[in-house]
Amino acid sequence: MRETPARARRWALKTSLAALSALALTAVAACGGGNGGSSASSGSADKADLTWQFWIGGTADQAAWQKVADQAHTDHSGITVKLQGTDWNNYWSKIGTLLASGKAPCIIGMQSLRLASYANAMLPLDDLMKKYGLKAEDFDKPIMDGLKVDGKQIAIPYDSGPMVIFYNKDLFKAAGIPDPKPGWTMDEFKAAAKKLTAAGKTGLVTSPGDLSVASWVRTQTGAEPLADGKLNLTDPKFEDGFKGYTDFVRTDKIAPQVPAGNSDFETTQFVSGKSAMQLNGPWSLIDTMGKVKFKLGIAPIPAGPDGSKTYTAGSGFGISRSCKTPDAAFQAIQSMTGEKPLTTLAAAGRAYPARTAAHPAWFTAAKIPEAKEVIDYASENSVALVTSKNWVQVADLLGRFGTQALNGEIPPDQALKTIQDQAGAGS
Amino acid sequence: MATETTTVAPPRPPKPATRAGRRPALRRDGRYAGIFLTPSVGGLLLFTLFPTAMALAISLFDWPVFGARTFLGLDNYTHLLHDPVFRRVVLNTVLFVVLYVPLNVVVSLGLATWVGPKIKGRQAFRVLFFIPVMTPMVANVMVWRLMFQPGGLIDSGLQSWFGINAPNFLGSSTWAMPAIVAMSVWQGFGYNFLVFSAALDQVPQSQLESAQIDGAGPLQRFRYVTWPMITPAIFFATTMTLITSFQVFAQPFILTQGGPGVSTQTIVMYVYNQGWQFLTMGLASAAGWVLFVIIMAITAIQFVGQRKWVHYDV
Repeated sequence: MRETPARARRWALKTSLAALSALALTAVAACGGGNGGSSASSGSADKADLTWQFWIGGTADQAAWQKVADQAHTDHSGITVKLQGTDWNNYWSKIGTLLASGKAPCIIGMQSLRLASYANAMLPLDDLMKKYGLKAEDFDKPIMDGLKVDGKQIAIPYDSGPMVIFYNKDLFKAAGIPDPKPGWTMDEFKAAAKKLTAAGKTGLVTSPGDLSVASWVRTQTGAEPLADGKLNLTDPKFEDGFKGYTDFVRTDKIAPQVPAGNSDFETTQFVSGKSAMQLNGPWSLIDTMGKVKFKLGIAPIPAGPDGSKTYTAGSGFGISRSCKTPDAAFQAIQSMTGEKPLTTLAAAGRAYPARTAAHPAWFTAAKIPEAKEVIDYASENSVALVTSKNWVQVADLLGRFGTQALNGEIPPDQALKTIQDQAGAGS
Repeated sequence: MATETTTVAPPRPPKPATRAGRRPALRRDGRYAGIFLTPSVGGLLLFTLFPTAMALAISLFDWPVFGARTFLGLDNYTHLLHDPVFRRVVLNTVLFVVLYVPLNVVVSLGLATWVGPKIKGRQAFRVLFFIPVMTPMVANVMVWRLMFQPGGLIDSGLQSWFGINAPNFLGSSTWAMPAIVAMSVWQGFGYNFLVFSAALDQVPQSQLESAQIDGAGPLQRFRYVTWPMITPAIFFATTMTLITSFQVFAQPFILTQGGPGVSTQTIVMYVYNQGWQFLTMGLASAAGWVLFVIIMAITAIQFVGQRKWVHYDV
């Protein structure tokens, strides 16, 4: 009697362990061979029900983008686009899983900084652009380039924007500093920031974010984070530029210390009037204007020895390789990035449109007289920030060790070396 | 457990009568037990054991969410062993546990003893101390972030009263971990406080009084009467707190994102980042298993150790 239960238990344990490992192995095998799945669409070039996966922030967002989706149906009565939304943070893992399983929807939202990781599973659009007469010249060049991988167009942009300086006109006026104009230099910027740093306020607020760091480095020394497609952060010119940026906090003391892992700090500090300048993208301009209680101005990033140089980032729509009706999907994207929907989005105060014909509507909505001059100037002096495949990790590491470098906890070149060691060549 | 060894086996009932009569009943009981257990065992298999085994399988692969998978054997584990960042992450987690668990137990036990039966309005205190446990962690952390950051409540308070700047709590590698521990203790002690309060209420007043009559002071009464009687509660509280504090995630994730550098990154955050941010599932699963083994080992040690200091025979 005493033996039996023990033996039974042992047997049960053995069987369940065996079953479990069998289950696990089956799952491994099942996950390994996941290319037979079909895409969630059917139809021909002119008739298709398409799904569009996109990042959505809330119900207002959903309604605005649904209108963009409806434009495809208005232009092509046989095509309908169904919008599927996920919040920004979960979007990227979801899209990764979908693309890997071969069951991704036809139309996919894509950001220029993350494109490199997903490009392999997306369809190059150059042939379709020719076939349906979509002209690259109708869009801002930097963002068209930003959505290319190895020279092939992977997505068509709807928004774009060069990084520019947002500044507090009231604080500038109170300190007796003239409004910065395109072409203002690094020395003029530093002098202004020093004058503005007083009575608990600072001239600037920094952030270890990828676009901020890369733009400030580029305007000071012209160095880029990637060379020949490989991460190149330990390049002496990049180190110099990065040191110059961290000096704003470490030695010049024209910007406050930064807290770790708080991406809102920069904007909160600027919006509350505690810091007179920040580097930001035009995509947040109209939103920021609604929040501030002072007069908001914008200026290009100050010019280093070779002039003002900045980076552009933006987003667009692409087609998954598993899409069975790429022609219909492309026509839908063409409608969604057309003049009409982009003008509507711009007039509603959303991101700066990538299509030049929609710019006037945005400038009207922005209500800043110098906006056109500044953004045109910055756009001309900007290039797309080309990223590595593991850019999410690079940006994460930059946030971590960049904070330490800005606060003077570790030397800037040591921070860059750690990031480079951790992230490797960037694949 | 302790009782099992001491119980005397009940005298066997007469063989023939019972055997014939009880066996089908037993079998029926077993069948019913099986039916009732199926949902929970099924849930355990599907949502706990299967993912655990699956994670072990994934940890042997280079498993990007997106792209080709290759079998690596134990390479993920050797990578973790040699990665200075992961070593720091393990150290951070241990540091958090070492600072947080004793503080939590001391604060909650201290307050529970203080809010003893003689305090007026003890129910109000109990509710008050339990509020941080009930409010959503994210809300708590956001408020603490506003206090900690440069120009925040602590900084501006110190500046206006004493004219000095507070340290950059969340931006300095020295201060970030203590800041997280402080926030966590405030947030988490309420639960153990309730456990200890309930245990202290169970200590018979008569025994405490007789000890007092025998001349025992308050400290002696606590050490020799109260303490042994609440050891099961203390064992429960420390075990649970240890396990949850090894899994700490929300506080550093929202307060510092694990920074500055990696000075407040914990193992669970590392798993989350590797898996859901950088989409390298193999490495994430391996790190998850490392954490699982650490927690298993420490819990086992605790269960072995409890025989020496926990008294169940009250």
